[in-house]
Amino acid sequence: MRRYKGLTIFAILVFAFLFIPLLIIAVTAFGSEPTISFPIKGFSLEWFGKALSSESFRKAFILSIQIAFLATILALIIGIPAAYALSRYSVKGRKFIKSFFLSPTIVPGIVVGYALFQFVVIKLKMPVFEGLLLGHFLVVLPYIIRVVGGSLEQFDYSIEEVAWSLGCNKFLAFFKVVLPNISSGIISAFLLAFINSFNNIPVSMFLSGPGITTLPASLMSYVEYNYDPTVSAVSVLLMLATIIIMFIVEKTLGISALAK
Amino acid sequence: MKKSMPYLFLLPGIVLLIFFLMVPLFAILWPTLFPDGFSLSAYTSFFTDEYYIEILIRTIRIALIAAIVCIILGVPSAYFISRCSAKWKGILIAISIFPMLTNSVVRSFAWINILGKNGVINNLLMAIGIVDEPIGMLYTEFSVLIGTIYLFLPLMIMTLVGVMDQIDNDMMEAAESLGASKLKAFIKVVLPLSVPGILTGAVLVFTGALTAYTTPQLLGGNKSLVLATLIYQRAMTLNDWSGAGVIAAVMIIITLVVMKVLNLIAAKLDKRGEIDA
Amino acid sequence: MAFVDLKDICVSYDGKTNVLEGLNLQINEGELVSLLGPSGCGKTTTLRVVAGYIDTKSGDFLVGGQNYTKIPVHKRNFGIVFQSYALFPHLTVFENVAFGLKMRKMDKATIEQKVNNMLEICGLTEYKDRLPKQMSGGQRQRVALARALVIEPKLLLLDEPLSNLDAKLRIQMRVEIKRLQKKLGITTIFVTHDQEECFSISDRVAIMNGGVIEQYDTPENIYAKPKTEFVARFIGFENFISVDRQDDGTYKALDYIFKCDNSDLKQAKITIRPDDILIVDEASNLNSISGTIQVRTFLGKSYQYEVSTPIGNLIVNGDGNKVYETGETLHLYLPENKIVLV
Repeated sequence: MRRYKGLTIFAILVFAFLFIPLLIIAVTAFGSEPTISFPIKGFSLEWFGKALSSESFRKAFILSIQIAFLATILALIIGIPAAYALSRYSVKGRKFIKSFFLSPTIVPGIVVGYALFQFVVIKLKMPVFEGLLLGHFLVVLPYIIRVVGGSLEQFDYSIEEVAWSLGCNKFLAFFKVVLPNISSGIISAFLLAFINSFNNIPVSMFLSGPGITTLPASLMSYVEYNYDPTVSAVSVLLMLATIIIMFIVEKTLGISALAK
Repeated sequence: MKKSMPYLFLLPGIVLLIFFLMVPLFAILWPTLFPDGFSLSAYTSFFTDEYYIEILIRTIRIALIAAIVCIILGVPSAYFISRCSAKWKGILIAISIFPMLTNSVVRSFAWINILGKNGVINNLLMAIGIVDEPIGMLYTEFSVLIGTIYLFLPLMIMTLVGVMDQIDNDMMEAAESLGASKLKAFIKVVLPLSVPGILTGAVLVFTGALTAYTTPQLLGGNKSLVLATLIYQRAMTLNDWSGAGVIAAVMIIITLVVMKVLNLIAAKLDKRGEIDA
Repeated sequence: MAFVDLKDICVSYDGKTNVLEGLNLQINEGELVSLLGPSGCGKTTTLRVVAGYIDTKSGDFLVGGQNYTKIPVHKRNFGIVFQSYALFPHLTVFENVAFGLKMRKMDKATIEQKVNNMLEICGLTEYKDRLPKQMSGGQRQRVALARALVIEPKLLLLDEPLSNLDAKLRIQMRVEIKRLQKKLGITTIFVTHDQEECFSISDRVAIMNGGVIEQYDTPENIYAKPKTEFVARFIGFENFISVDRQDDGTYKALDYIFKCDNSDLKQAKITIRPDDILIVDEASNLNSISGTIQVRTFLGKSYQYEVSTPIGNLIVNGDGNKVYETGETLHLYLPENKIVLV
């Protein structure tokens, strides 16, 4: 870049603002004192040990993974055909139906959480796991519709028509021709949905039950009452996982797949 | 192929959304208007209670300031990214996306470490001797605001990078050749062409900040309540379900109005800016 | 002294390899000079150095005796027309053209008067309130030109301005550019990869290759006397034959003797355009060679033959009077004044 000094300095400061707080967490995770301090006075891996051996964090982590995975799969099964129908056929009220499918992003997450709490927990008395799954399904469905829908907009449907002309029935053509060509869209939809479900707080806070809670929700309660580096250690582990995912995505789909 | 086929594809999703989103929403909103017959009393009592009004105004104020600060910080940063070489662009986009993918508990927790009584800033100030006692920065509107800006700035940057990448660099060079300095060229050419993106980003930040729960809960606590933390408190701690319903309605209405208005403005301005190559 | 003077310009993007290798170029006031060459030859880089978008590693760039090397783009007062036109999509035609004058803080009345005048000259008056997207390619091109000219630039820089237009419009626009350039007397640098376009419009042409200027001359001279093999090939010469110089000044390939305009080159190649080789009834012992037709191609006006001879395959264009068959033997005569030594 040429003669952009002021802008460069400004941008460096902004990126430092984005990055340094997370860096501080990473550093505090290795501290030896029983409360968080920065800079750290001694080096210790104790908090990682504590984080990994904590029964409640481990259970919460497994639940988070299960919920995120199942909710995303469910959203894919229901979302892909819907996205296909919306892009392929001139459905009546297409615009309205599409915004209907995206409505969980328009309604504030905290309101979705509260409404589901009233309906699913209080009225239907649904078990906690099923309730969480349902809530997370609603949260991630819009990502599938938007990202897969975006891929399908780029898809040249004459390819599908060629498959029909070659004797492939419509059902098979969808699986053999359409799906493989939007696979990168499906993968990035999967990742975005999974990450957003995994990170979700408001819905999880309302739908968690005694002893059954997701990792972010249990992390949140922990932070509210404790101030030791265990949370830093858990944060570092989560960030590591994020970095690994980003690295894999960058090598395969390109990092912009996560910026939708 | 039957004509009904596409509807069959759409049906499961529509049914689930109606049954598990629309009905529950209706179920929490209905009692706020029809406790026993139509009445606006739940709303009038909300809007006449100074305590609630204070929280409402604080929420809007935080969302508004966050949106403005995100624009001020985001526009130059996004422009910087969009003019970088491919390699640096990738790195900077990764730096911007990383916080977006990091849990909001972690991101708020980061600011507890910085702003808290034993936090980085207080330790620093006491070490240099500027203050003798830690300053209470946490659980204030200020800490919520910082956390909110931190939460949504990457979203603003990524939205703007998408728009600014479309602006042909030739245009900047042309402006310079006509006598505009880099700053002038930016103000006269890039800024007007980025307005739709800025508005889109502003909608995302404003509505996001208006309804965010984690950050105000962790950085504001009960001392600096906002609508989202208030709704949780009303519903879960106080079992005031009608009150929670009213707050839900207020949040939905503000969100919809802001989205609609700013999107309309953006669409209007977008027509002026679009290029058909 | 030349009006524009590029002295030993070196440019490197990565700090290691040079894109421009000590480039020298002098342009007289009022001249239209083209930079011609294949993509990657450095012509656009040269233009961008002149415009001020690229910093040089070394060398000086002078205009009217003043050193411009370190002057920022927006203070140079050069008009630039981009390949993409780079019109401001949010501004009307009038506002686009007025942009540079507003930057110069001229008063409203002056701006109005100057812009209207320029729109008139460029035939754009009726479109002045339109947005760029509402205009055709040719019209946009004209707006870009008007916008560059209205600031009364010291230099006009044109970066492949015609390459996005269709063939007919291209010819029309290049005539128009030439007309405007002469009328306003603006020293102009024109970058192109199209040889015909370049020769038709330029006072002088610099043919570039690998970051250096291979030849800098009038179009007529370059057309008749290319100095290097690269230039010769670029402007349509074929039939390159390696030859050695004899004591008597003739050149020899195998046993064939060629006489041509003298040169000091000891070892060289002779070259000739396919159009300039004559098909004759009988081979003589000077500037002549015989061979058999390998391939015949129909060109419309006549046929082109690829003739296999002892000194290599030669491409020859027939004159249209007589048609020869593949396998037939042809006697070829290479006129002395059409042969070029490179």
